Amino acid sequence: MPSFLKHRPSLPVWFVLLGIGCVIGIAGVINVLVHGHAEVYNVTREIPWGILIATYVFLVVSSTGLCLISSLGHVFGIAKFEFIGKRAIILAILTLLCGFGTIAMELNHPIRMGIYAILSPNFHSAIWWMGTLYGIYLILLCGEFYFLMKGMHKGAFAMGMLGFVAAISAHSNLGAVFGLLEARPFWHGSFLPIYFILSALVSGGAIVSMIVYFSHKDSGEEMPQKYDDFIQTIAKLQTLFLWMLVFFVVWKIIPGVYGHPPEKYEATMAMLTGPLAFNFWFFEVLLGLVVPVGLLLNPGTRNAIGVMYAGLSATIGIFFMRYDLVVAGQLVSMREDAANLVNGLLQYTPSLTEVAIVVGAISLCLLLYTLAERLLPLNPDEH
Amino acid sequence: MENKRFAIVLDSRRCIDCKACTVACKAENNVPLGTDNYRNWVDEGKLRGHYPNLGQSFTPSQCQHCGNAPCAHVCPTKATEINPDGIVHVVADKCIGCKYCQTACPYNARYYNEDIGAVDKCTFCSQRIYVGRLPACVETCPTKVRVFGDLNDPCSEVSRLLAKYPSRVLKEAQGTKPFLFYLI
Repeated sequence: MPSFLKHRPSLPVWFVLLGIGCVIGIAGVINVLVHGHAEVYNVTREIPWGILIATYVFLVVSSTGLCLISSLGHVFGIAKFEFIGKRAIILAILTLLCGFGTIAMELNHPIRMGIYAILSPNFHSAIWWMGTLYGIYLILLCGEFYFLMKGMHKGAFAMGMLGFVAAISAHSNLGAVFGLLEARPFWHGSFLPIYFILSALVSGGAIVSMIVYFSHKDSGEEMPQKYDDFIQTIAKLQTLFLWMLVFFVVWKIIPGVYGHPPEKYEATMAMLTGPLAFNFWFFEVLLGLVVPVGLLLNPGTRNAIGVMYAGLSATIGIFFMRYDLVVAGQLVSMREDAANLVNGLLQYTPSLTEVAIVVGAISLCLLLYTLAERLLPLNPDEH
Repeated sequence: MENKRFAIVLDSRRCIDCKACTVACKAENNVPLGTDNYRNWVDEGKLRGHYPNLGQSFTPSQCQHCGNAPCAHVCPTKATEINPDGIVHVVADKCIGCKYCQTACPYNARYYNEDIGAVDKCTFCSQRIYVGRLPACVETCPTKVRVFGDLNDPCSEVSRLLAKYPSRVLKEAQGTKPFLFYLI
């Protein structure tokens, strides 16, 4: 592995990069607050959900994954996983909050949501349940983090157990936000709630691989024995999760093309050969699946840095999985004779403002985590 | 209105694609300018046949005021309401702009209206029909494609047309139970 790949950016460089990312995000937020959604976003009446929704999904999937992986330690009692508990939970809280921030920029009236979700709730709406369940989940994560920081293991176990149930409920329900839409054959059905849980595990495993590598003090491949043992375990677990994800991707694609099911076929082909093909083959398949599986299966790269790169690669791939899932479901017009189709499909490319907000949200999340890492006692024996 | 079930029956073979219905609707309902902003539309079908034997059909449409409306099921704040007479409408103050209804509607009948700060859609011109007038699209059509009326009244023109002629609804398999009927 080339030596420049083995060194982390120095802390000042890291802070400058994240600072620039946050400034870009703030510029995007100001732009949309001044000019309005219609002026600066590229979403349309036919494709109303764009990259901001995809990023929201990506961030909350990451949160769920972190919660599930960390629960292996202080809920299910697998001792090796206990030492990542605090880091995983604080990052789960931060990814969730940044996800909320991203969707707030997509909603036209986030304040009305707070009011009318309580005054006029629709219990039939998966989005109402999404807000409620993620709200409960956030409270439980905060409680769990508090008990972990105080070293109160019983409290952390109770909160972790409830948080685990909330994470599974909230996240499968997020799959149902898409899966309950009969009008969108690419999304409709019980596949997405199940797939969302599985892909959360992949996200969680990938991010935990990265935080274990980046949180220990020394740069490079040499690590204390405890870290090294954990890396070997997470590598095996992550390989299993990735193979399961391969299975899910294959069985999402085959029913989408077999027999050319109307609308589902066109959306699937948009991913295989159409406007989303580069995203699918390069990011989802190569970076999201092939590279991490290769790094994890090869004994020569199954070390701290290799597992970290596998996590990074999978995380980038998973971001595009979210984007492609959200966009592909809307590319097929609801009206077959609509006038604005290109090769039979609608079109969406994120605007600069949308991309700026995505960059800002991810940078803010990383910045807050870096600060937490420096300011809070996150090692397992520190209280 | 109680004891009524409003519907529109369309004879799309009469449509000449003049789009007067869209213009009248925009003017009547203060629909903002912009290609995404409309409550009703005319879809232009593919050209059929070969020269000199050619044909083309036009399908005017709008919100179907579904009997089983997916937009109302999914709205997290019950901003989409359904009147006893079947009219599906949005309470602007409750709309949070999540656009879930836009992804749920199989007819793409909704758009976000920046002027009112809410998702907007056809209301059968309720401001007109509740005072005994016709919807703007019905009144303005030069070839009388659309007929508006109450299906609970067996003597209304819509009831008589549906009794006399076979008809179809759009995307029947979606189970939305539309109340726009196209004469075959």
